[in-house]
Amino acid sequence: MEVLVMCSSQAKICKTELGCRDLRSCFGKTNYKNETFSRKPNSVSFDKQISRLRKAGLRFTVKAVHFEPILEAKSSTGSKSLDRLRLFVGLPLDAVSDGNTVNQARAIAAGLKALKLLGVEGVELPVWWGVVENEEMGKYEWSGYLAVAEMVQKAGLKLHISLCFHASGQPKIALPKWVMKIGESQLSIFFTDRLGQPYRECLSLAVDDLAVLDGKTPIQVYRDFCESFKSSFSAFIGSTITGISMGLGPNGELRYPSHHKPAKSGTITGVGEFQCYDTNMLNLLKHNAEANGNPLWGLGGPHDVPTYYQSPNLSTFFNDHSGSWESPYGDFFLSWYSSELVSHGNRLLSLTSSFFGDFEVNVYGKVPLMHSWYKTRAHPSELTAGFYNTASRNGYEAVAEMFARNSCKIILPGMDLSDKHQPHDSLSSPESLLAQIRTTCNKHGVEIAGQNLASGGLEQIKKNMLGENPIELFTYQRMGARFFSPEHFPSFTEFVRSLNQPELQRDDLPPEEVEATESVQMSSDPNIHLQTA
Amino acid sequence: MAAVTVDSLLQNPTLLFRPKSKVLLKPSRSLDCSRNRKLLLSRSSCFCGFKIKPRQTSLVVRASSSETAVIDNFDTSSTDDVLYKETFPVNRIEKVEGKIFIRLDQSKNQQDWQLTVGCSLPGKWILHWGVSYIGDSGSEWDQPPKNMRPPGSIPIRDYAIDTPLNKPSKGEMFHEVKIDFNPSNEIAAIHFVLKDEETGAWYQHRGRDFKVPLVDYLEDDGNTVGAKRGFGVWSGALHQFSNVLLKAEASPADSPNNNNNESKDSKNKNRHLEGFYEELSIVKEVSVGNLVSVAVRKSLETSKLVLHLETDVPGNVVVHWGICRDDAKRWEIPAAPYPPETTLFKNKALRTLLQPKATGNRSGALFTLDEEVFGFLFVLKLDDNTWLKFEENDFYVPLSGASSVLGQHGQSESTSEEISSNSYTDGIINEIRNLVSGLSSEKSQKTQTKEAQESILQEIEQLAAEAYSIFRSSIATFPEEDVAETDTDSTKPTVKISSGTGSGFEILCQGFNWESHKSGRWYMELQEKASEISSLGFTVIWLPPPTESVSPEGYMPKDLYNLNSRYGTIDELKELVKSLHKVGLKVLGDVVLNHRCAHSKNQNGIWNIFGGRLNWDDRAVVADDPHFQGRGNKSSGDNFHAAPNIDHSQEFVRKDLKEWLGWLREEIGYDGWRLDFVRGFWGGYVKDYLDASEPYFAVGEYWDSLSYTYGEMDHNQDAHRQRIIDWINATNGTAGAFDVTTKGILHSALERCEYWRLSDQKGKPPGVVGWWPSRAVTFIENHDTGSTQGHWRFPGGKEMQGYAYILTHPGTPAVFYDHIFSNYRSEIAALISIRNRNQIHCRSMVKIVKAERDVYAAIVDEKVAMKIGPGYYEPPSGGPQRWSVALEGKDYKVWETS
Repeated sequence: MEVLVMCSSQAKICKTELGCRDLRSCFGKTNYKNETFSRKPNSVSFDKQISRLRKAGLRFTVKAVHFEPILEAKSSTGSKSLDRLRLFVGLPLDAVSDGNTVNQARAIAAGLKALKLLGVEGVELPVWWGVVENEEMGKYEWSGYLAVAEMVQKAGLKLHISLCFHASGQPKIALPKWVMKIGESQLSIFFTDRLGQPYRECLSLAVDDLAVLDGKTPIQVYRDFCESFKSSFSAFIGSTITGISMGLGPNGELRYPSHHKPAKSGTITGVGEFQCYDTNMLNLLKHNAEANGNPLWGLGGPHDVPTYYQSPNLSTFFNDHSGSWESPYGDFFLSWYSSELVSHGNRLLSLTSSFFGDFEVNVYGKVPLMHSWYKTRAHPSELTAGFYNTASRNGYEAVAEMFARNSCKIILPGMDLSDKHQPHDSLSSPESLLAQIRTTCNKHGVEIAGQNLASGGLEQIKKNMLGENPIELFTYQRMGARFFSPEHFPSFTEFVRSLNQPELQRDDLPPEEVEATESVQMSSDPNIHLQTA
Repeated sequence: MAAVTVDSLLQNPTLLFRPKSKVLLKPSRSLDCSRNRKLLLSRSSCFCGFKIKPRQTSLVVRASSSETAVIDNFDTSSTDDVLYKETFPVNRIEKVEGKIFIRLDQSKNQQDWQLTVGCSLPGKWILHWGVSYIGDSGSEWDQPPKNMRPPGSIPIRDYAIDTPLNKPSKGEMFHEVKIDFNPSNEIAAIHFVLKDEETGAWYQHRGRDFKVPLVDYLEDDGNTVGAKRGFGVWSGALHQFSNVLLKAEASPADSPNNNNNESKDSKNKNRHLEGFYEELSIVKEVSVGNLVSVAVRKSLETSKLVLHLETDVPGNVVVHWGICRDDAKRWEIPAAPYPPETTLFKNKALRTLLQPKATGNRSGALFTLDEEVFGFLFVLKLDDNTWLKFEENDFYVPLSGASSVLGQHGQSESTSEEISSNSYTDGIINEIRNLVSGLSSEKSQKTQTKEAQESILQEIEQLAAEAYSIFRSSIATFPEEDVAETDTDSTKPTVKISSGTGSGFEILCQGFNWESHKSGRWYMELQEKASEISSLGFTVIWLPPPTESVSPEGYMPKDLYNLNSRYGTIDELKELVKSLHKVGLKVLGDVVLNHRCAHSKNQNGIWNIFGGRLNWDDRAVVADDPHFQGRGNKSSGDNFHAAPNIDHSQEFVRKDLKEWLGWLREEIGYDGWRLDFVRGFWGGYVKDYLDASEPYFAVGEYWDSLSYTYGEMDHNQDAHRQRIIDWINATNGTAGAFDVTTKGILHSALERCEYWRLSDQKGKPPGVVGWWPSRAVTFIENHDTGSTQGHWRFPGGKEMQGYAYILTHPGTPAVFYDHIFSNYRSEIAALISIRNRNQIHCRSMVKIVKAERDVYAAIVDEKVAMKIGPGYYEPPSGGPQRWSVALEGKDYKVWETS
């Protein structure tokens, strides 16, 4: 019977149903005779009906040809975006943690199968510098990751690789041992804050082009790493592997580690601190200030800023009115601080896109959603993280332009966040910031892929995915015990199904089922943070 | 049935070549197997096949087997043009129709009757059946009397029988099973469903059990077979007796009650029965092998490629096809011309309806393709909406130039075989999904759609549950405390309470047997024994299931909050618990979480709507038990068929059960749980319940069969104990489990004098107690295995050997009520006292010193030595320890250090 309804998009269905009815009338009732034991009553084959079917099928074929062009025109908008929407799910951060073994391979295999059946397009796999090149420079161990790639391929899923040149706190994955050893004697390879505390989870962007790693620059080391990755995974790149995202800083994101520790949930995030106090950053600042004709500005970062966890008004720099951020000094410092970040991003992304440009893969970089204090004029959280975005200046122009120049796409985490769940006093607005970044990216033709920060928030994600301006690809974070738990997985299943079948959700579900779905989603705690890469 | 003729090709006007003769090619075995690299490379040898049989003329070849028979016609003079030839085996699901017959007739001796159930379809058929007795209410089955069970029957718990259907003789069409019975049994009806073990499918009658009524006045719920033909002979005068169940008088003409030996009473019991024979049709899905053959040749005239595709798949076959231009196998639409009946499909592929051949059940088509085409891709779609693919991939026919094909292809095999884009067919699957949802407004489609979706969702859920349990266990790995604990000071017992073990020094008393409900005042009777039980040295007592229940023993709970049962009232229960606490006993409640009996029927007449405080509906019932039409998810464990199985994946169910357990703790004062039939649902849920109710001690009944070979128990029961361990693991070690493995091995060891069985390959105890002693609750008998049920009774007279084993060994021993209050009492008391005085606990170290044919001996914690079996053993004298006999009985002996 499905011959009759082999059409693609939602819009066509009403027409094909017509065909269906026509056919049924030519069959008479016999075909729908309820066979007691058959699960599919209308698929029992009788010799006589075969010939009838044949005739009917012929009739229909003609119809299908007839319909095709009309329908094509009709279905161009709504359903197309649905077709293109791609959903990925992140694999556990420690899917591979010692180079050659896959952790919980059985669970991952089962999980992959489940995702495939759900209709998920692919999975995201974090590949850690500290796992692959852990022992010594240039010695790579890919076998564990290759095994995962094979599993993914076998499951018929696509793979998105995240190259992680940073460390992870939970689960504990550090930078490579040999890098950490260099760091012991040479703290200046790390970002450092005003109090001189180093941040050991990624290298300072100021050393990008300095030969600090046994005679090589970090950029060279990253390049060698990518080279090795490319040759090891050449069989997968472009077929199974459809996306590669380049680690750009703390947590893989293009930013300064302005918050050393992630904020506790439910509490208001402080403004964070500028990270320009390692020797090399200070050198850059000094040069820049001298070139600017204000050598005194190059001695350090602003002195009138609050500390990590404080709110902006505790000191004068971020004040809404006549704060120093609006002074010529403030503008000088913030311009420099943010442009260093953009150049760093440019160095890494141009490297990456030149490497993988000839493959059919998309190259991504992750841009954080520094949404706290967005409703103030100064946007302090964004400023300390390196985005010179204030009430009077769109700091994402430069970022989007840089991505566009390198034909890279942006991954934006935090699509699960909604304003109403933010603490009231935080003056934060993830939704407005998201909208601003997306508008800016649209302007520059940079495509956006989404991610979530915590599990749950599925309604908000759906809004972002299916809204007027749907996003291309979404990576849901992340597979693990919580993901598959009875508290979470059913709502995720519903979520995926509702993405695939918006019609069903709206019209066809009996009312009580719709309610049930919603209650499940309500109950998932938005405050539980998942691990993020 | 693959019968092929080739002359049909000649009739096709688009043919560009003229065959002069036809060649029969029977594919070699290697052609039949799946297309792999080896096969492709050996293609040249296929050409040889052609050349060996030149100019042979054979017109029609019929092959009767579906495995053989690919015949294509080729002009032998132009065989060199044949670039490619391949036969792909494909499997599809076909519906086969057959018959089930049910016959009720009288056997020769005029007294017994016989029910015969037969099935004409091939398969491994099992009759899953039970009976209902006169006076039963509700829809539960009972087990039939023993003499009714045909040979080969296996009891399924206490409500049903599985009996295989056999072919009476080889030539018979029907598999059948005969059930003999005497109508004087008080059986009201026989119920059954058919199960096909090959496919695991259940076959029911109008969505319900088959029901053969043996009394006339049974209410017809719509699933009756054999109708109520006897009804007509009811004498009107008898209507006054209609509430006297057995007084149906039979008409002398066709009733079997002319037996003079029967007493008058039994005559009365004869009911009127009339034989009948009924046939019902049945449809089974079977996998059928078919072939798709493809041949490519080059047309000399146009220098185009002509691809001939033919298949013996019956019905309308639509080929979705396209070409590719490189190894990546990306679908493209070729340029015209196309075969007749070709339409464009979504700009992604072409679809062509294969034309039926004049002879044979085959259809085919010819495709004309440009020379430079690299490959031809296709999938088939059949009448019944199924897609035929080649081993999950698209069918692929390499077409690039004959000479280069091999090399190129070898490469593509190694690199892109697996990578080969599934995109097109995946697309189709997605579209089917979309369609399926879009079509849901159409009613008959809707249910079908839902079923399909449900089954996918169920599979997803199972996978997710598997992934969950692994991910979770790896986060919070259960600590195996054995090592740590032995380090602690042994003179001072370490008391660390956890729900899996209690204090570690627990000794359990099962405080009831199968008959305890009979007096109606068990709680009061037990109360009188409280101090006695405590003084014997027990620390924990397990009480019978307290809820209102359909069966008097309590294992068919109905209203969970109604604790007035055949054992006594809720107040008596509270009193009992209070006095047990007073004498220092912890109290376990027997909670039945797997299933629950309904209060009322749903709209289909199925008992699956619950009442009482937890008035769940059929969403609380698992969906995969054919009896109860649940709307919940698929069961996370085995099904218990006598009552609706509760779907623990439902949040509201879990919430309610947690609340209930909390209430039992609060209201009654239970300290912990004995969990009934935990095979029925996933252990992770048990963890959830235990985390919520925080019991002092909990033990689950995970009872399945040990492994036997030719009726003899295998020495290695690792698989059996592993299943129990897996369950404990799933509960994260929050519950212990009854050590069924140890009981089973003790059976064989004692019964057959094979004491060597009591040591596993690593010299450890062979039961759960050898692997995870702190979570093993050892026992030799309970209300099911022994008592008046005797489902699996411990070898008679050897019980004390069993107790000598479990009460001296690690694990938490449980002693059955019947044994405590029997002649064994003083010996059991002595063993308990030895255990307590030597502080043997659930993690004690056991060293097996002898495991021979007739004797087993072990030393526990270097403080207690024991032996069982008739053979000789004495603990070593002259060592550091001085052993003295602590207890001696029939075939057992226990020593302690002095």
